[in-house]
This record gives sequence, structure tokens and C-alpha cells, in this order.
Amino acid sequence: MNPEILKLARALGVDPERLGYLADVDESDVRLLREQVTTTLFDANLVVLERMALASRLLPAPVVAKIAEKVFGPLLCARIAGLVDVSRGVDVAKRLPPKFLASVAAELDPRRATAIITRVPLSTVLAVASELAGREDWITLGRFVGHLPDETVRRSIDLLDDVGLLRTAYVLDDKNRVDHVLSLLPASRLPELVRAAAADPSLWEPTLDLLAHLGETRRATVRPLLGELPEELRARAQATIK
Amino acid sequence: MAERTLAEQLGGPLPAGIEALPEEHRQDLAAALGDARHRQAKALAQAGEEALKYVPALLRGAVRKAVGL
Repeated sequence: MNPEILKLARALGVDPERLGYLADVDESDVRLLREQVTTTLFDANLVVLERMALASRLLPAPVVAKIAEKVFGPLLCARIAGLVDVSRGVDVAKRLPPKFLASVAAELDPRRATAIITRVPLSTVLAVASELAGREDWITLGRFVGHLPDETVRRSIDLLDDVGLLRTAYVLDDKNRVDHVLSLLPASRLPELVRAAAADPSLWEPTLDLLAHLGETRRATVRPLLGELPEELRARAQATIK
Repeated sequence: MAERTLAEQLGGPLPAGIEALPEEHRQDLAAALGDARHRQAKALAQAGEEALKYVPALLRGAVRKAVGL
């Protein structure tokens, strides 16, 4: 299914099948709608959320962390994250288990919490990335790539196998980052991805999408591999990177 | 009370491809967004009171005041 429909369904908390009627709508329009929906949901109840964020300053970080996990849950934590002091947010995040943080990440709008996300210790980010990979939550992984420092992205991607990396690249929020993300990886990784795709037709669409977003330098490294691909994939790949 | 349309809830014009959808599909999107907002407001109302149980007694008054409970 179109990744933008999956992401919109996630934002609305509905089954993606329900939004099947969006299949023929231009992807960029579905993306615009998702951004409007996200803004609307984050701005709803803003006054109450701001008061809660303010009140959290009165409490020790361990108490805030306990309330976050036991009472607020991932959705409300994600709504408040962009409203709390950065240092306080980081301090609380460090006290929460990766499983919980992964659930918060799934609800978070990375644009609103960049200051916190980029200051969370690398070990915590990697633990969360590992948890998300275990859940096969490629959408959440893909949403964060554009908001993390290169070194964090590189280490996080190292945790993904070829299937995980292809599926994450397919749902990246900013497809212009695909070529840059691949530049962070060893040169051997791209051929590995292409070969993995050859063996699994369900990876063809993500792979062709990835190829479409490569720069000329990396396209040139793929061309010698085309002969190894099944005929149909080879023809489509050739047309994509011609 | 009539349900708010999708554009009303979003507070602005819809992307062209969404505006061009049949009315029933725009209504479905409006309903899904309305439900999401309702769930969020409900969760927030419940969390406010529940969270106070974890606040040390000495700070409870100040926190109540800050939150406006």
C-alpha cells in the first residue's frame, strides 16, 4: 500500500484498509493532508497540554517519568514532548524504558521534538531503534531519519537487515535523504540490498523506489548488478536508473 | 449538532486531491479525525486527575494550580 496512506492511517489511529479510497489520490496531497491532520491533533488541547508541561517543572524528573509511563501513556507523552524544556525532556526520556520510548516515538511528530530527539544519548536512540525494528515499525524509523545526526542515523541503520532497510527507505518522510543515507553506509551495502530484493518480489517496489532516488554516482554502482536480477525486475530497474 | 466538515476541523482548504474526493469519503475522513480528537481529549481529561496520585502530597496544591484543575 502507498506509504503515505499508511502514515495517514497511523496519524488518525485507523486501519489503513479503511482509507483504501485514497489509493488514486496524488501522494503529495495525501502527505499534505497528513501534515494538516498532525498539526490539528497536536494543536487540539494545546492549552491544557502547555499547563501540564509547565506543571511538570515543579516535579522531580523521576516522578515525571513515572507519571509519563504509568498515567500519560505514549500518545499524551508524544503530544507534550515538544512543549517541555529540552533538558527536562531529555532527563525524563533517559529514565524511560526503550519499549515505552518506542511507543512514544510512534506517536511523536519529530518536527516538534527535534531539540529533544537530537540530545537523547546515542545508546538510548539505538535501543529504541532496535525495538522499532523488532516491531517492524518502518514508518516510525523512517520519520526520524531526517531529524537525527548522521552518526546516529548510520548506527541505527546498522541495526537493520536488508529487508528492514529497504522498507524503511520506502517510507522515509524526506525521500531526498535516500541517497545521503546510503552515503553513510559501506559501499557494499547497496549491492546487498539489490541482491536481497532479487530474492523477494515483495521488495521490488521499495527497491525501485530506492533506485529512483539515488544520485548518479550510486546508480553507476548498481548498473553492473542488473544482470543478476530476475528479468521483470531487471527491466524495471533499468528503466528507473537509465 | 452537525458534524464539522474535514476542512472546518483542519482550519483551512483541503489539498486538491482530497477536495476532489466524493463527499462520502471526505465525510469518512472527517469522522476519523473527529474520533481521533475525541479519544485524545478523553485520554487527557482522565490523565490529569490520575497523575495527581503520583505527585508528592506537598506539591499537589501547586501542581493543581499550575494545571488548572
